[in-house]
Amino acid sequence: MNTREFDVIILGGGITGAGTQRDCAMRGLRTLLIERSDIATGATGRNHGLLHSGARYAVNDPESAAECIRENLILRRIASHCVEETDGLFITLPEDDLAYQQTFTDACRAAGIGAEIIDPDLARRLEPSVNPALTGAVRVPDGSVDPFRLCAANMLDAKLRGGQVRLHTEVTGFIREADAIVGVHTRNRQTGACEDFFAPVVVNACGIWGQHIAALAGVGINMYPAKGALLIFAHRINRMVINRCRKPSNADILVPGDTVCVIGTTSTRIPFEECDHVAVTPEEVTLLVTEGALLAPALSSTRILRAYAGVRPLVSSDDDPTGRNISRGIVCLDHESRDGLKGFVTITGGKLMTYRLMAEIATDAVCRKLGVERACETATTPLPGSEERSYEAVARKIWEAPSMAQKAAAARMGTGVSRIRSGKRSDEALICECEEVSVGEINSAIDHLEVSTLTDLRRRTRVGMGTCQGEFCACRAAGLLARAHGCVEREREDLSDFLQERWKGNFPIGWGDTLREAEYTQWVYKHVLGL
Amino acid sequence: MKLQEYTVSKHNFEECMKCTVCTVYCPVLQVNPLYPGPKQAGPDGERLRLKDPFFFNYALKYCLNCKRCEVACPSGVGIADLIQASRIKYDRTRPKLRDRILASTDLMGSFSRPFAPVVNAVTGLGVTKTALDATLKIDHRRSFPKYSGRGFESWLRKRAEEQAAFPEQVAYYHGCYVNYNNPALGKDLVKVLNALGVGVQLLEKEKCCGIAMITNGMSETATRHAKHNVEIIRKAVAGKGLTVVTTSSSCTLTLRDEYPKLLGVDNADVRESVLMAVRYVFERLEAGATLRFKPGFHKKVAYHVPCHMERLGWGVFSERLLRMIPGVEFTLLDSACCGIAGTYGFKKENYEASQAIGAPLFEQIRSVDPEVVACDCETCKWQIEMSTGYRVENPISILAEAIEI
Amino acid sequence: MRFDTVIIGGGLAGLVAGISLQKEGRSTAIVSAGQNALHFFSGSFESLEEAPQRLSELFGEAGIRLHYCSGIRLMPLGTFRPAALSLEDVSLFETPGFARKALIVNFAGYHDFFTSFLAEGLEKAGIACRIQALDLPELERIQASPSEMRSVQIARTMDRIWEKVVREVGALLGDEDTVILPQVFGLRDITVPGRIRQAMPARVVFVGTLPPSVPGIRTQALLKRRYEVLGGTYLSGDEVLEADLEDGTVQSVATRNLGTHRLLAEDFILASGGYFSKGLRSNPFRIWEPVFGLDVDFAGDRTAWYDPAFAADQPYMAYGVKTDASLHPLLDGMPVKNLYAVGSVLGATRPEFGSGAGLAVRSAFRAVDAILKEEAL
Repeated sequence: MNTREFDVIILGGGITGAGTQRDCAMRGLRTLLIERSDIATGATGRNHGLLHSGARYAVNDPESAAECIRENLILRRIASHCVEETDGLFITLPEDDLAYQQTFTDACRAAGIGAEIIDPDLARRLEPSVNPALTGAVRVPDGSVDPFRLCAANMLDAKLRGGQVRLHTEVTGFIREADAIVGVHTRNRQTGACEDFFAPVVVNACGIWGQHIAALAGVGINMYPAKGALLIFAHRINRMVINRCRKPSNADILVPGDTVCVIGTTSTRIPFEECDHVAVTPEEVTLLVTEGALLAPALSSTRILRAYAGVRPLVSSDDDPTGRNISRGIVCLDHESRDGLKGFVTITGGKLMTYRLMAEIATDAVCRKLGVERACETATTPLPGSEERSYEAVARKIWEAPSMAQKAAAARMGTGVSRIRSGKRSDEALICECEEVSVGEINSAIDHLEVSTLTDLRRRTRVGMGTCQGEFCACRAAGLLARAHGCVEREREDLSDFLQERWKGNFPIGWGDTLREAEYTQWVYKHVLGL
Repeated sequence: MKLQEYTVSKHNFEECMKCTVCTVYCPVLQVNPLYPGPKQAGPDGERLRLKDPFFFNYALKYCLNCKRCEVACPSGVGIADLIQASRIKYDRTRPKLRDRILASTDLMGSFSRPFAPVVNAVTGLGVTKTALDATLKIDHRRSFPKYSGRGFESWLRKRAEEQAAFPEQVAYYHGCYVNYNNPALGKDLVKVLNALGVGVQLLEKEKCCGIAMITNGMSETATRHAKHNVEIIRKAVAGKGLTVVTTSSSCTLTLRDEYPKLLGVDNADVRESVLMAVRYVFERLEAGATLRFKPGFHKKVAYHVPCHMERLGWGVFSERLLRMIPGVEFTLLDSACCGIAGTYGFKKENYEASQAIGAPLFEQIRSVDPEVVACDCETCKWQIEMSTGYRVENPISILAEAIEI
Repeated sequence: MRFDTVIIGGGLAGLVAGISLQKEGRSTAIVSAGQNALHFFSGSFESLEEAPQRLSELFGEAGIRLHYCSGIRLMPLGTFRPAALSLEDVSLFETPGFARKALIVNFAGYHDFFTSFLAEGLEKAGIACRIQALDLPELERIQASPSEMRSVQIARTMDRIWEKVVREVGALLGDEDTVILPQVFGLRDITVPGRIRQAMPARVVFVGTLPPSVPGIRTQALLKRRYEVLGGTYLSGDEVLEADLEDGTVQSVATRNLGTHRLLAEDFILASGGYFSKGLRSNPFRIWEPVFGLDVDFAGDRTAWYDPAFAADQPYMAYGVKTDASLHPLLDGMPVKNLYAVGSVLGATRPEFGSGAGLAVRSAFRAVDAILKEEAL
C-alpha cells in the first residue's frame, strides 16, 4: 500500500480535512490526507466544543443558523460517541433587555430551531449552576461535541475505507503540469524525509493556514485571522450549555464537555504571522472569568485548568478588495474557474458544526472534477464508534458490572472500546488516573489512530487532559510510546515537548491550586525523575 | 466582583494534587483489590460523577470510612467525606437485612439487653455463629460484643439527684455501647468527673449517633437521628450552658463532623461544646484542678489511637492524661487501623481483609506486651481483644482505676 | 497546651528540628497538615556542606544509615545527577560508566519504572543493557485494581517475597556485573535493600520510581517514630490556622482540630513548606504566607512569576518569606523575635542554605541552634 498516486489529496488534518477525506473515501476515491502537525491542532481543537443549535446566529445570520440546526441533528445521529445531548439555555440577566428574548425566539423558530421560553424558576431547577438573578430563559437544542474525537473518528473511517494519512508532514511545494496541480512535494517534520505524492485534485482544507497553502500554489485567498481565548475549568459545573440572550459578545458561552467546562471566547484581530503563536493575555483571563461568572457564579470559585486560544479561519469575501467584509459562511473555491488553476479546490470558512456539510460541498467539487457520480452518504452513516446511541448502552453490553475506568473508556470510544486488544488484566492498568485511561486504550490509539507523540496521544485519549495535566501519566505514556516506536531518544524529547505544551496553558492562570500543581510537576520531573 | 474570589477553589476536591499519598495510608487498599482506593473513589471519581452519575462505582462500599486518607492528605481534601457523600447521593441499592441489623446498634441493644445472659450465651455458641454466618453473612469467627443486663441510662437516672449536687455539671452522650454493652465505662467517667467536682447528667433521650447507618446505606434514618441529637444537645448547651462529653471517638466524630458534612444537619452552634471526655478532663487539670492518685499504682499501658480519634486530632489528650498518671509505663503505638471499622469487620466478606489490616498493629501490641491497651473506641476494643487476647480499656477507665476518691 | 517549641510543619525540616530539640530535653509539638514532601524524597541531598556529620548522626539514631561520597547517582529517566549524602538505597558513582553490562529488571505490568529510558541513558555511558520483566503471581492481586500497581503496594509485597525476587533475578543474570532494580524494597524493614545487595551475585543499583517514594515513606515513618520515642507530640492531619502575636512575639497558635484549645510556646518554628504544602499561597495578585501574614519576597507583576519555558528555573519557586540573619521572619519589616522560618517556605531567599532537602536540614539546624543558644543566655 505504499502507493504515491491517489485520486485526491487533502491538505489539512482539521475537522474539514478529515471530514472531506471520509466523504471522498465513502465515494470510492483513493485518498491521502496530509497534515503538517497532528489532527485537530488548529481551530478544530481550539474552540468551545459547542454543538451549536444555531440559536446564536439566528438573529444576525439566519442562513448559518439553519445550517447549524440541520447539522446538529445529523451529528447526534452519526457521531453519538462524540456528542453530549445536554441542551442549552439562553439567559437574560437584569442588565440585559428582556425584549430581545422575543426577537431571539422568533428568529430561532424561523430558522427551524426549537426554542422554548421557560420560566426562570424552571431554568434554575434544570441548571442549578445558572446565575440565579436571571430574568428570562430560553431552552434550545445546544449540546457539546468533542472535536478531537470527532476528527479522529472521521480519519479512522477514511482509513478503514482505504484512505491514507500522513501526519507531521508539511507540503513544501506543488507539482504542476501546465496550468494544473498534479501533486505535492512533502517533508516529514519528524524524520526529515521528503516524498512526492500525486493526484489529479488537491483540496486545500488548511483553515487559516490555507492562505499560505494557496500562495504556494500561486493563488490568493485573504483570510482574516481573529484570535479567540478560552478557559477550561477543572470540573463540570454545569449540565447544560449556558449562553447569554443578547447580541453575541465576549465570554458569553459556557459549555460542559467531558469532565470539564469551557468558557469563551474573546475576539481580537491578529496579523497573519501571529497565527502560529497565539497566547492568552492576563487581560483576556480577567475578562473571561468576570464575564463567565455572570453566566454561572460558581466559575468565580472553581479551579481553572488551562487557558488556550484559537484562530478563527474567517475569510474575506472575494468581491471585497478591502478584506473587511467577512463571511462566516462556507466558502468553496474552485481555483480553475476562479484563477484558472486546474486540480485545486479550497474549502474554508464555516464552523466545526458545519464540517460535514463543508466536506460534502468540497467532495462534490472533487467528484465533478473527476467525473465521479456518487451521492453523499455521510449524513446517514454513523462514524466508527457511534453505532450505539449512548455510552451507557455500550458499557452495559460489554461488561456485566463495568468499573469506573471501563465506563470512562466506553464514554470516549463508544463502540470502539471493542478495539481495545483484550480483556487482559495488564491492559486494564491505568496510565492516566484523572481521566481513567488504560494501557489498552492507549495501545489501541497507537495501533489505529496515527499517534506519534504524547500530544497526539492526548488528543486521541484525553491522557494528560485531567487535573494533574500530565504530571503522572506523561512519563508512563512515554514509556509505552518508546516501546511502540522503538526510539527512546525521540521519546525523551517528546516528553519535554509535552510538558512544555502543558505549561503553556497553565502559566497564564498560574495561581492557587494550579500553581501548587505546577510546583509539584517541576519537582517530579526535575528532581525526582531527572528529566 | 473581585478577582480574588476565584483564586482559591471552593471545591475542596479540586485541591487534590494527585500526589497519591492517600493510597499509601489506605488500610483497605492493602488488602482488598476490589476497592478502587481513596484517590480513585474520591477526587478522581468525583469529576466523573459530576459529569454523569452513571460513573458511580459500587465498589465504593468497601471504604471503611476510617478517614486515614484525610489525615494523610497534604492538600486537606475531605476524601472519605467525598466517598461517603457520593454513596449517599448515588447508591440506589437497598441495604441488606444483615447490614440493617448491624447498623441498628440501638435496636439491637434495646432488644438484647433484657435478655443479656441468654443473648450472650447464644451469640457465643458455635451453632449460632454458624447460623448467622450462613443466613446473614456475619462472619462466624467474630466474637460478639457482650450485652450488659442493666443499662447505663437507668443506672445514672437513679443517681440524678446525687449528681445534681455537684457544683459543676456536664451532660454525657454515652452512646449505644456504654448503655448496652459496657456501662462500666460510663460509671468510670462519672467517678472521674465527680472527683473533679463535676456532676454528670443524661441528655434528654439521646439516640444512636448513626455512624453505622451512614456506612450501611441508611442515611435517611441517620439523618433523623442526627436532627434529634443536635436538638437535644442544643437544649443542653444553649438551654443549660452545659458541655457535652463523650467517651467514644466515633460517636464524637459523627456528632461533630459527619452531621454537617454528610447529612447536612447544621450543628455549628453546638459543635465546639461536644468534647471527648479526655479533652474535657485534660483541660480541667490544665486549668488547675487536681486528682488524687493511688499510691503504688503501676500499669504498663500501650495506647492505640483509633482512626476517628486520629481524624479528630485529639489522641494527644488521651496520651497526655495517661502519661500524667503516676506509675503508668506508657508506649504510644504506631498509628494504624485495627481493621474493624465499626460494622465493617463483622461482615463475612470483610473478615479476612479486616484481620489483615490489623495484623501490624496486633504484632506491635504483642511485642510491647502491655498489661492493658488503651483506646477510645469500642469497636477497636472488640477487634484488638479478639485478635490479640490483650485487654483493652478506654483511657477514662484506666484513669478511674488510678485515682483515689 | 504548653510546649517549649511548637513547630508548624511535619516534613523533613520540622522533624529534624523537633528531634534535635527533644534530644536536648525541650518539649515540642509538631503540627503536620497531612503528609509531606518526604514522600517524594529521591533519597539524596545534592549538597550539604557543613551538616553531613550532624545529619548522619540524627538519622542514625532514628535507625537510618546515610552514606557519603561526592559523586553522581542514576536518575529514573536514565540521566545522572550530582549527589552527596544519601540513603543507603542510593548507589553513588564516580563516573557514569560505572559498570560493564547491566541487567535492568522490572515487574510485569509496572509502568512507573522507566526501563527503556534507563537503558538508553546507560548505553550512552557505555554500559550494555538487557531489560527483563519478572511476572510474579504474588503481584496479581494488586493488579486487580487498575490504579494500584504502584510503588507502595508492590513494596508491601516485596517485604514478604524479596528473597524469591533475588533468586529469580539471579536466574536471569547472565554475564552482567550489575542489576538495576526499582526502589520498591524495604518499606517497613530498612535492612532489606542491604540484604538484597549481599545476596545478589552482582552489584545491585536501586533506581527511583514515580512517587510516592518507598525510601522516602520509610524515612518519614522512622523519623516520626524517633521523634515520638523522644517524647515529641506529633499532631497528624492538623493545620495551624492563625497565631496570636503580642509585642512582636508569638504567644500561641490555633489549629483546625484543637479549635479553642490553643498551643502555647516560647518559640515557634515555621516549617510549612512551599506552594504544594500551602506554606505559601497565591492568587492572581499576590503571594502570601497564610499563618502569620509574613512579608514575602515576590514580583508585583504576575507575568514575572513564570518563565514560559517549562525547563527553565521558575521565578515563582524562588519567592519566599523574608528573614533576618537569624532566620526570624519579617512582619511589616520587623523581625518576629521568637519565630524561625525554615525549609521551603524560604524559597530561594536564603541561597546560602541551598535548596530542597539540603535547605530543609540546614535551616532547621540553624533555627535549633539559635533557640538553644538563646535559652542558654
